[in-house]
Amino acid sequence: MRKSDYQNIWVYIEHDGKSAAPVGLELCCELRKLCGKTGDRLYAVILGRLPGEEIEKVRECGVDGIIQVSGTGYEAFNIDAWTNAFTVLSRKYKPSAIFVGGTIDGRDFAPRFAVRLDTGCTSDAMELDYDPETGDIQFIEPAVGGKIMAVITVPVMRPQIGTIRPGTFQYAPTGRKAEIEYIEEKIDFDPAAIRCRRVGFIPDESDPELDIANADCIVCVGNGLKDSEHLERYRRLAGLLGGKIGCTRPLCDRGILPSKLQIGQSGVMVKPKLYLSFGVSGAVNHTAGVDADLFIAVDKNPDAQIFSYCDYGIVGDMDEVCDELIARLSARKE
Amino acid sequence: MATYNKITPEIAAQLRAVVGERRFFGKDDVDPNYSHDEMPIYGRYMPDAAVDAETTEEVSAIMKICSANKIPVTCRGAGTGLVGGCVPLAGGLVLCTRRMNKILAYDMDNLAVRLQPGVLLKDLAADALTHGLMYPPDPGEKTATVGGNISTNAGGMRAVKYGVTRDYVLALTVVLADGRVIELGKSVCKTSSGYSLLHLMIGSEGTLGIITEMTMKLIPSPICDVSCLVPFRDVESCIKFVPKIKLANLDPQSIEFMDADIVASSAAFTGSPIFPERVKNEDVGASVLVTFVGSGEDELDQKMIRLGRIAKEADALDVLVVATSSNKKSVWAARSGFLTAIEADTKLIDEMDVVVPVDKIPAFLIHIRSLGEENGIRIRNFGHAGDGNLHIYCCSDDLEEDEFKRRVKIIMDKAYAKCAELEGQVSGEHSIGHAKMVYLRESVGEDVFGLMGEIKKVFDPDCILNPGKVCDVSLTGREGRRQPC
Amino acid sequence: MLKILVCVKQIPDVDLVKMDPETGNLIRTGVPTLTNPLDLNALEAAVQVKERLGGRITLITMGPPTAESTLRECLAVGGDEAVLISGRPFGGADTLSTSYAIVKAADMKGKFDLIFCGKESLDGATGQMASQLAERFNASQISCCCGIEEVKDGKIRAARTLETGIELVEATLPCLITVEKDKFCGRLPSLDNYLAAKKAPITVFTENDIDGLDLQKIGVPGSGTIVPKIYPPELPEPGQIIRTGSVRTDVARLMELLAGKAAL
Repeated sequence: MRKSDYQNIWVYIEHDGKSAAPVGLELCCELRKLCGKTGDRLYAVILGRLPGEEIEKVRECGVDGIIQVSGTGYEAFNIDAWTNAFTVLSRKYKPSAIFVGGTIDGRDFAPRFAVRLDTGCTSDAMELDYDPETGDIQFIEPAVGGKIMAVITVPVMRPQIGTIRPGTFQYAPTGRKAEIEYIEEKIDFDPAAIRCRRVGFIPDESDPELDIANADCIVCVGNGLKDSEHLERYRRLAGLLGGKIGCTRPLCDRGILPSKLQIGQSGVMVKPKLYLSFGVSGAVNHTAGVDADLFIAVDKNPDAQIFSYCDYGIVGDMDEVCDELIARLSARKE
Repeated sequence: MATYNKITPEIAAQLRAVVGERRFFGKDDVDPNYSHDEMPIYGRYMPDAAVDAETTEEVSAIMKICSANKIPVTCRGAGTGLVGGCVPLAGGLVLCTRRMNKILAYDMDNLAVRLQPGVLLKDLAADALTHGLMYPPDPGEKTATVGGNISTNAGGMRAVKYGVTRDYVLALTVVLADGRVIELGKSVCKTSSGYSLLHLMIGSEGTLGIITEMTMKLIPSPICDVSCLVPFRDVESCIKFVPKIKLANLDPQSIEFMDADIVASSAAFTGSPIFPERVKNEDVGASVLVTFVGSGEDELDQKMIRLGRIAKEADALDVLVVATSSNKKSVWAARSGFLTAIEADTKLIDEMDVVVPVDKIPAFLIHIRSLGEENGIRIRNFGHAGDGNLHIYCCSDDLEEDEFKRRVKIIMDKAYAKCAELEGQVSGEHSIGHAKMVYLRESVGEDVFGLMGEIKKVFDPDCILNPGKVCDVSLTGREGRRQPC
Repeated sequence: MLKILVCVKQIPDVDLVKMDPETGNLIRTGVPTLTNPLDLNALEAAVQVKERLGGRITLITMGPPTAESTLRECLAVGGDEAVLISGRPFGGADTLSTSYAIVKAADMKGKFDLIFCGKESLDGATGQMASQLAERFNASQISCCCGIEEVKDGKIRAARTLETGIELVEATLPCLITVEKDKFCGRLPSLDNYLAAKKAPITVFTENDIDGLDLQKIGVPGSGTIVPKIYPPELPEPGQIIRTGSVRTDVARLMELLAGKAAL
């Protein structure tokens, strides 16, 4: 295999038939920038029908082309048709890299077609760069519980495949290109060969408290929390601030809060206006998930890494500081 | 009847001169949490002022000022008590030891550590481990101060093998009510030298003096440990198993008891059902969690094999092994979270911490259960089966506070009477404070209770140290006692 | 009888791994190991299926000889046999080559109906192994499984926890399953099983023992990805630490500082 035979960067546009998932658009915006370094053209890949106005959104993200796949097998997401489509497309067009949103579905099928193509796959990069000497994309991410940053590359094989968590990159469209190539591919997948199919669905009763990705204010509680009995005051503080509770991984592991509230690289990415952390040590895999306008950190350890990320920090007992904040905020409201 | 004086601006200025501006808190600046411990149900009482002391000299100077002016002084550590022990019933000054939190020196030759009273239990345990040593007492509340542990003679799970806090106190520096500083005990293992004021001071709940420094005994940290969970069909067969473990010479480090109710509460609360509710298609009525320590895996395997044999004879449903670090973590997190799990689904709780002879545990629990049913109060309990120490909690659920207190009073009165009938003690490790004083009096009788009062007078004639606690009845008529806030 | 494979991994306690500030290498020596917790949830799911429907559970792992303790831990909980793939040529593998080695070794034990593995490992945390094993086993795939309804007539019916609700699916066997940890909490081993597991035989496969193994596809040569560089996270400049002497005044100062901002 010659690496130079492989060109252009693809982004998979995940959708539910009605609208495109934000992560695909975020990836287009970010990879537009990377293509500036690599000299590649940027293509969005759409499987199955997506309404025209949603495709317009994709165009606004600065793509050079759109590959639209039609045929049998794309009525609803299934790993088999999706893996097959990407394998067929990739063999035909030889892209240099394929990016897939790190949703449940994306994480299910992307590593799978990587195996079928016999190539390398990475997940959850927080930053992307390009090494012109090797021609390889650098997938940069925290590793080993956030203790180190690791640069990962796919040095020999192509395409380079990466899944990226929703919210990692900004959705900031740069506008459409004058000319956008449109490729239609018909790849039929025999529906009888779909090995796993939906036979029922029970939607969650939506609990707004669990939707923190778009919250304006988040009170994040870390492993410094003594036990769940002490959690109530943070809920009160969040209530007073009109915000929501979030947490770091250890609290989910301790069963104190549900994993939907876990903020960070392998949890939810958040971008609140105000972020208050209590008892959070500040491992990179957590802070990487926080993009706050104003970041306040409280921890008893004066050397905690979290203080490097905050705008303002208080060294002290998290419960005491929280109580004092509650006292002052409620006094102000009265 | 004790009469006390207010902290005037002049007295405040003197106190401020001792500790400095930043460690003195006037009435409006006192942390509101200082009005209660972990059981606010026994009433909240605010002090007139508080100080954070840092040295023996400061404590001595403070006591001189307070004794000269008859200001009550209540010593407070981390405020994790369960009997209102650190609550300033008569107002006055709260002297907080939280800043006296330094571990001063290890004596590796005599296996001892010198420290200040405000060091937290978990910090001492962790620090000792870095020296290859273990502080054996292991009370459930890890964020309590060691000073508080001494003042209450705290026990904990490992008491079965190692004894209680008292057994690890070698020496104390104590500031008396009038400000004199005395040294009690020496860093030696034996003593036969007169009345042991050291042991009088231990468990005296800040009523005889203020501990400002201590030397504690440590032991080499065990090399390995393993726990076994032994489930039974019912409480009786489970408790009958406890003496058999001891008789088999297995020398367990702890024997913890849990019944089906607490296991269910814990599983619901943590979401991790690590303690099984069914084993081999049978409902588990109660289980014991037995921990062994040793110098190698083979030794522990041998102990477990013997445990397995006697468990089978005792008709245990199974013996489950807790050997991996993850399982140990889950098991002990769940066990340590029992109280939290109980508190999670009720508005208010009241508790008792009695000790009964081990063989009387089932009789006592059956009695308690029927008292709960009679009075419409949900009861939860768990405890240290190895030493008969039971933690019993009355849960208010949705009852109003007054009605809850009324019903709990009935239960408590009868339960302590039953405890006395079974030859038990009022408190195993939470101590008396003001919440359990009447029950102590009933339990020990007038002669002993009176002697305690006489001893108190010798140390603290003006009764300024933690008034209204243990055996000090001077506030029971409510005169001199503040209105709860 | 169902043939069930459970893939497990021994990992270092990542909380205790440190980076050598001089060399930039990870210090793993002396760091305690444990069984990847999510693999134990997968094992629990497998044991529940076995208890309900009958079957035989084969455990498989790849790693250094110490990984044996992970296999014994899993045998005690409910495995029937265990395979350890070990040998220098396997070292340094990414998920592409690890999945290859595991599937080649598993083939030596016959065909499996159900394959369980953890959602991800706490050390690598790529979450790719499940999909890549499924592909190589030519199996259907059910991720985020929160309940297994039935396994019969060459099919499995199960529930999945998705972002927006619970999905019920039907898949053909063989099927690879990853589970939600809350739904399959691990159990404690029974003493008899614990002691028996200590003595149980473990099949060790080196690179020479696996039929048709392509040495170019294992270890470093077979890996798609490499890690050319690791470095300590760059810390931004510390924020402004408020130190006024007491919590009360610290918070007061914070409120002053925030007074001008729209955020509060």
